[in-house]
Amino acid sequence: MDDHTLDDVFARARALTPEDDGAAARFLAGHRQRAAQRRTVRAGWMSAVLASAAVVTGLLVSHPDTTLPASAAYDAYRSAAGDGW
Amino acid sequence: MRRAGLLLAALLAPSAGATDLDDLLAALRRARTLEARGEVKITVLFPPRTVPTRTARRLPLVAFTPALITRNFTVSRTDGGAVAGRTTTRFDLLPKVGSRARWSLWVDQEWNIPLAYEERTATGDVARRAEFVTVNPKPVRVTVAVPARPVALRAAVDKALPGVALPAGFEPSGVTARADGGLTVSLTDGVNVLALVSAPRNVKAAPGVASRRVGTGFVWLVGNLPQDALAAALAGITGVDPSGLGTFVMPDASKQ
Repeated sequence: MDDHTLDDVFARARALTPEDDGAAARFLAGHRQRAAQRRTVRAGWMSAVLASAAVVTGLLVSHPDTTLPASAAYDAYRSAAGDGW
Repeated sequence: MRRAGLLLAALLAPSAGATDLDDLLAALRRARTLEARGEVKITVLFPPRTVPTRTARRLPLVAFTPALITRNFTVSRTDGGAVAGRTTTRFDLLPKVGSRARWSLWVDQEWNIPLAYEERTATGDVARRAEFVTVNPKPVRVTVAVPARPVALRAAVDKALPGVALPAGFEPSGVTARADGGLTVSLTDGVNVLALVSAPRNVKAAPGVASRRVGTGFVWLVGNLPQDALAAALAGITGVDPSGLGTFVMPDASKQ
């Protein structure tokens, strides 16, 4: 390949074609869309994790199946059995 | 004439000589106005606690109910030996039916008031015991009320807990409100007590504790009875409707 051929190649590479119009704009638009999708997915995960934590906490604190220690039963017996024991 | 003689003999028979039961009830009647003081050693093995023994200046309260003692116990007397250096008579209370705890009381022969109590399980193990170690030279005057027996409470409990089968000999004696919104019904056979509880939460299984789910809540029965007797009392309960117990509910003294 001689110098002229190389000059032609460089000249064609420098010349703007219809495909070059708006390429930057298309890249930026695509980039913004991908970033938004990533944020949506992350927010979805966070919501799911927080909701699960709330459900677990709620079950632990207020679910009627939470069993009281035997001392609660003995306290009831003591209050029925009279003072001084 | 002969028939009239027999009738007269039958009428006079009970008063011919006081029975052991009569003598025990007389001592309990006297204990409502006269009480010994000194140093009392109290041992409680049921319900279990970290330190089972402590001392006090007077005997702990036991809500003796004469009518129920008469109905539920056979009373016999023996020599009680010395308690805190004083001569006593020992009265043994054996349940007529069921597997309820048995009691012994040591009654001072001069003052005619108790100086010691002991509660044993149906199998003979000590559950509670209180006895004077030293006693003051003179007893003091006191006023102890006879435990009230609300007549309509039994029917109200049967209605509030349909299907409940109170252990043989026991009657409800009072209702208190619980901090968790439930209720505690006290049961007595004249000496022993049980706590029948309705609560929103279950309680851990332990000696002397039975419980089961009923509807959206739970019922417990706690006391010195074999486990199968406790569980059997709760087995038939089909629902909990405490609305009819409202007029009997007393505030829980321990929460005030």
